[in-house]
Amino acid sequence: MSDHIQDEIIEQFQGLEWLEKYELLISFARELEPMHEQFMTEEYAISGCQSKVWIRTHIENGKLIIHLDSEAMITKGIIYLLMKVMNNRSPQEIVDLDLYFIEETGLKSNLSPARADGLASIIKRIREVAEMEIN
Amino acid sequence: MTDLRDDFPILKNKIYGQRLVYLDNAATSQKPSSVIDSISDFYKYDNSNIHRGVHYLSELSSDLYEEARKKVSTFIGSSDPSEITFTAGTTDSINQVAFSLKSTLMGNEVLISGMEHHSNIVPWQLAGAKIKTIPMDEDCNLLLDSMEITDKTKLIAISHVSNVLGTVNDIKRITEIAADHDIPVLVDAAQSIQHLPLDVEKIGCDFLAASGHKMYASSGIGILYTNNRYSDIMPARGGGGMIDKVTFEGSTYLSPPLRYEAGTPNISGAISVGAAIDYMQNIGLDKIREHEHDVYSYAKERLLDTDGITVYGNNEDMCGSISFNIENIHHYDLGLILDKMGIAVRTGHHCAQPLMELLGTEGTVRASFALYNTKEDIDILMDGIEKARMMFS
Repeated sequence: MSDHIQDEIIEQFQGLEWLEKYELLISFARELEPMHEQFMTEEYAISGCQSKVWIRTHIENGKLIIHLDSEAMITKGIIYLLMKVMNNRSPQEIVDLDLYFIEETGLKSNLSPARADGLASIIKRIREVAEMEIN
Repeated sequence: MTDLRDDFPILKNKIYGQRLVYLDNAATSQKPSSVIDSISDFYKYDNSNIHRGVHYLSELSSDLYEEARKKVSTFIGSSDPSEITFTAGTTDSINQVAFSLKSTLMGNEVLISGMEHHSNIVPWQLAGAKIKTIPMDEDCNLLLDSMEITDKTKLIAISHVSNVLGTVNDIKRITEIAADHDIPVLVDAAQSIQHLPLDVEKIGCDFLAASGHKMYASSGIGILYTNNRYSDIMPARGGGGMIDKVTFEGSTYLSPPLRYEAGTPNISGAISVGAAIDYMQNIGLDKIREHEHDVYSYAKERLLDTDGITVYGNNEDMCGSISFNIENIHHYDLGLILDKMGIAVRTGHHCAQPLMELLGTEGTVRASFALYNTKEDIDILMDGIEKARMMFS
């Protein structure tokens, strides 16, 4: 099922060379609302990422609100996109969500579990949180 | 030495349409055609299990395997090939020693440096030993005069060359100090065997561990030198090929090296190590050393000339690896950007988390060199770093 947020992202990445993609991600990273330092701790860290990634979530009006941050800019750019696509959806919607933009933007090569940035770990953690909320 | 690139088929590959600049040699080296051929030729013409058959192929493969052992022995300066055991790699070699010495190490101390790879830390912890470290100065040079040896020190285990910094440690001096206290020394030569001449008899070490895949041979094969003084230590593995006699009441074992090689070994791997040694010797070890020294010095000079850079470690004698960080660029971001320019470096903690803590960083960018790297590779790396800086400015 297509959704316009993902389609918009795919369009932005259309025809870009790798370094241009990274430049775009860096520009997104600069827009990411930074997490308060007090939460940048082991408790909120997602393991399996070479660059540290922290996650905080809460439910607001039945929707899951996800806040992610990282110390690396390219990772930050990717999590900015993840937040854009996944935020403000019900936990069930998040579990069911097909993140097709990752493949179509070419960012999939950053997704494999072997990749040190652990994008796969981040998505897994978000889905786990959503599943816990459903149960 | 620039034409050496031609010996390595993988270096002809284009990465994202660009020349491959492979600077991740401390993780693994690429393989020359002669090494690749030695493996395929073995399976095409010579394959059989070793040491057990009376038939033609079994004798042939046994001879090739033992010939490889002799080459290793000569290459590292041992006068007795039975001091060489083939293992699965440096990690396996060190774990085997840790297992064999477990009864001595349990509850006692192993003295290491602060720049060790996890492979030279965790096996000793598994053997029940406490880790003690040799102090270092701010340039990460060992302060051997302040090395503290106690009654509990049962082994000194030290990397010859740091996999992160490229620092060459004075292992000769360490073995001399150790000898005064009658303590055995294990040298982790994973990052030196491909760069520096090694002579175990001159060094005076008791154990030396190295990997095939970092010295242009295949992965899954390693080397363990065990001085004859330790020829009767407990084998870490039991099974076929290492026994003299087996009964349900107990078993007796063969003499080294077979004593330490239970089961069918990595025969083609061992042969590839022999082929890699031939390859290096044909070029000439002095020539390799000189060329690598030139490239390393050039890389260090160019990196140190870069604004906002921190280069970790500083010693007169360095080789192999160089680690750095660029101000305001996360090492991971830099690694990703360089990758898209066809430049392979490694980023992260390089399996040396205690060293990262000492350096006060989560990780570094590491460029590590092999005999096929050139100054042109360094120029491409530096252009890549400059490009990344522009992207982050």
